[in-house]
Amino acid sequence: MGILVFISVLLVAACGLIYELVAGTLASYLVGDSVFQFSTIIGTYLFAMGIGSALSRYIHGRLANRFVWIELLLGVIGGFSSALLMLAFAFTQGFELILYALVMVMGVLVGLEIPLLMRMVRDRYEFRDVIAHVLTFDYLGALGASLLFPILLVPRLGLVRSAMLFGLINAGVALWSTFLFVDQLSATRGLRVACLVVLCALGAGMAEAKQISATAEDNIYADEIIFARDTHYQHLVLTRFKDDLRLFLNSHLQFSSRDEYRYHEALVHPGLAAVPAPRRVLILGGGDGLAVREILKYPLVESITVVDLDPEMTRIFSSNPMLTKLNDKSLLSPRVHVINADAFPWVDGNADSFDFIVIDFPDPTNYSLGKLYTTAFYRAVSRHLSAQGFLVVQSTSPMFARDSFWCIAETLKQAGLQTHPYHVYVPSFGEWGFVLAGMHEYKPPTSLPASLRFVSVDGLPAFFQFPPDMAPLPMPANQLNSQVLVRTYENDWKDISH
Amino acid sequence: MKLARRKFLGLGSAALAGVFLKGDKRIEGSFVNDSFPRGHLLRGRAGFLPAKRVEKIPVVIVGGGIAGLSAAWRLQKRGFSDFVLLEMSSQPGGNARWGENEITAYPWAAHYVPVPGPQAAYVRELFEDLGVLKNGQWEERYLAFSPQERLFLYGRWQEGLEPAIGLTPKDRDQFQRLENLFGEFRQSGSFTVPVELGLSSKFQDLDGISFSDWLRQQGCDSRLLNWYMNYACRDDYGALARDTSAWAGVHYFSSRQPEEKGPLTWPEGNGWITRRLLERVGGNIRTSQMVHRITETRRGASVFAEETEFQAQFVIFAAPTFLAPYLLEDFPPLHDFVYSPWLTANLTLERYPESRGAEPSWDTVFLDSPTLGYVDAMHQSLRTHVDRTVWTFYWALAEGAPAENRQLLLEKDWTYWKEAILHDLQRVHSDIRQCVSRIDILRMGHAMIRPAVGSIFSEERRRLRRRNGRILFANSDLSGISIFEEAQYHGVEAAQKVLGRLHG
Repeated sequence: MGILVFISVLLVAACGLIYELVAGTLASYLVGDSVFQFSTIIGTYLFAMGIGSALSRYIHGRLANRFVWIELLLGVIGGFSSALLMLAFAFTQGFELILYALVMVMGVLVGLEIPLLMRMVRDRYEFRDVIAHVLTFDYLGALGASLLFPILLVPRLGLVRSAMLFGLINAGVALWSTFLFVDQLSATRGLRVACLVVLCALGAGMAEAKQISATAEDNIYADEIIFARDTHYQHLVLTRFKDDLRLFLNSHLQFSSRDEYRYHEALVHPGLAAVPAPRRVLILGGGDGLAVREILKYPLVESITVVDLDPEMTRIFSSNPMLTKLNDKSLLSPRVHVINADAFPWVDGNADSFDFIVIDFPDPTNYSLGKLYTTAFYRAVSRHLSAQGFLVVQSTSPMFARDSFWCIAETLKQAGLQTHPYHVYVPSFGEWGFVLAGMHEYKPPTSLPASLRFVSVDGLPAFFQFPPDMAPLPMPANQLNSQVLVRTYENDWKDISH
Repeated sequence: MKLARRKFLGLGSAALAGVFLKGDKRIEGSFVNDSFPRGHLLRGRAGFLPAKRVEKIPVVIVGGGIAGLSAAWRLQKRGFSDFVLLEMSSQPGGNARWGENEITAYPWAAHYVPVPGPQAAYVRELFEDLGVLKNGQWEERYLAFSPQERLFLYGRWQEGLEPAIGLTPKDRDQFQRLENLFGEFRQSGSFTVPVELGLSSKFQDLDGISFSDWLRQQGCDSRLLNWYMNYACRDDYGALARDTSAWAGVHYFSSRQPEEKGPLTWPEGNGWITRRLLERVGGNIRTSQMVHRITETRRGASVFAEETEFQAQFVIFAAPTFLAPYLLEDFPPLHDFVYSPWLTANLTLERYPESRGAEPSWDTVFLDSPTLGYVDAMHQSLRTHVDRTVWTFYWALAEGAPAENRQLLLEKDWTYWKEAILHDLQRVHSDIRQCVSRIDILRMGHAMIRPAVGSIFSEERRRLRRRNGRILFANSDLSGISIFEEAQYHGVEAAQKVLGRLHG
């Protein structure tokens, strides 16, 4: 009988350690900063175990019954802890609160186990043997669990099922104890029924674990990821939720199919419709073909040159059926010429002239992209502008990055252009801004292509009105040697995220 | 037992070797453009062949570095093209030489020119000529792009080279005090570029002590401050503060307006200027012409190069002045011309190494490294996406005597220097060995003049600047400071004197 008791100790110890590891790992996965998570969780857990040990002295009589109940309780709480935490992260705001509450409860229960067990067997052995054996098996169990967890459990079973498996073991020990300590128990039958109920519940949990984690993960990552690829130049992710298709480049949202028409109509039509008889158009960036789709609405336009760095990007937007549906197969039009090249050197090395130029780059989040927002770049681009032509620059949000927006406008001005800033509301982006620029005065167009959903002749003048909270600010121009825009942009968004 | 143990050790070291060898790429490279084999011929006064041909030409320029090229530029610009420029090596440029591979052009030595102040009139004129300065505006593409400089210290990066993190109040106080002092020296108007225009006996005392002694006199004992002062001296003079004249140390910090624009630079460094100058005067240049003797009479001078005697009315001696005693007859030995030995290396990188989150900068320096760090040739690229690049790694052998360091340069093989360079980089970029595919190394025994104590106000130097014979000296070492502006100034000045005397 002795060895069986000590195997119980070993199993119980393993369970206790597994719950701790599950909590630490999940918190690291979901919240990040593993060092912080593991230290605080281990600390809280050990502290709670101390409380459990201290409380054990207030338990008198019917020790075996209490022990079985504690094991059952631990089996349920520990076993479902992982699933509970995942769902808490996905559906509640209080993940941390639930995490530490769970860790405290489990720690207290685990802290009660060993003192009670020692008292239960103290009459059968010498005191020094009890101490020696119980602690030996306690530590052995911990070692076993700590090796099994990373090598077998996490890779093979995953976190949800690992916790449940050890919940089953806890409940198993409870059931087994009803036989092992039968002489110390009362109401044995009721206990055994309870054990069976818990075992069944955990078994069912094991079977359904996949569904639980899938539900939670779906909610954590919001939408279904239908495409993810590391191209040579960027990390490209496409998500879909019902009819909403979203493109992320390096985790920055580029468009949502629900409202991208607002962005792209606003990017193209105010400028292009104002150019008399436009024939040649240049797009820098914009490999998604959505601006091209808008430009193709002008029958006079003979040629559209798209210069985008990433061949993978233009290839996907020319071939994926979901995406070609979105851009009306614009990149496949015979009027469109796709060139995969770095924009600045291309602009420098090309001598063509264009009636309309769309500059649609990612926001200036780093010094490399910042080069594409400088006086040097705009000077180089403006050499390609025909006498009646305009260029338009996507210029971040005049609301959330007000300094950046007006810095871009000032940069265009110092590059020798007349500027006409405007803004629109795009739900998935918020208030968004553009700067139209050219060598001459701008008059809003009196007619637009048919079938636009957002831009209208009557609505246009309002685009150019800036309310006080987006009004112009005096900003320096962005130059290659100063790159004030990158710093400004960083500060603008820092201000918002606080 | 003994055997087993030895076996165990053997296996252990084999395993260790396996660990170290794993993933290390093979790194190619060699020494390049060595000039000392030819230079040492002069020192040995080897038996040069007598001249077989005689060419008569009014002006001969000896040396195709910035001084010689600038003299040529000025002659040409004034409509005078009856001259030849003789360059010892196969590629002109001197300290403004460049190289090129399939990735980019890169410098072999000097890699920038600070935005010139109003006194550097010749430099401004040149830059207007080259399209760098247009209507009072500096061409944006030629100013060093941001981020410009970064310093690695205490396991992290900071922007700028003057240590700004981990300073104690005492450090801050001393930095501030020095800045104020340098501000006063700047106000005095005596510390100018070019040096000659401002040189005033008022500050001659400074030339009598070392920069480190002067710092001590000012009560500046901060370790970080002294590191920075030493870095400045190593960077511009190839010398430690204790081997640098205090006048030169002050000049480094007081000769320019605090300028936010950042220096002018190009992928190939000052090689870009050399290229533009060669476009203008290349027709008059003869390379691989080893000048081995120059004779001077009252009516002219003869330059003996290879097997030709060039009979000229004037010779502009733009080569390093220390060569003069070997070339000119009865030329007194020089005492105030000490040169710092340097090593530069160009590293071809297949990708950028890990940089602990910092974006690549133009110039990267490590605190407490004996080297000067590296400059990224692709930094001035207009591309947004760069995979491969070339780094130019600078190392002034400042610690110890120049002669001993020259010996060291000669004795140690390529592998030794390659390992030393990688070792230095590895402290900051742990994966550097996986990134580098090639390391070419240039050894320069007499890379730059050293402004040692007493050298700025040296009588010897002053006499050479004012020399009135048929041979005019023009190297930057006449100023005692080896920078682009000094070389260009002396080159242009010599050309103007020659033009004046030819026509006068």
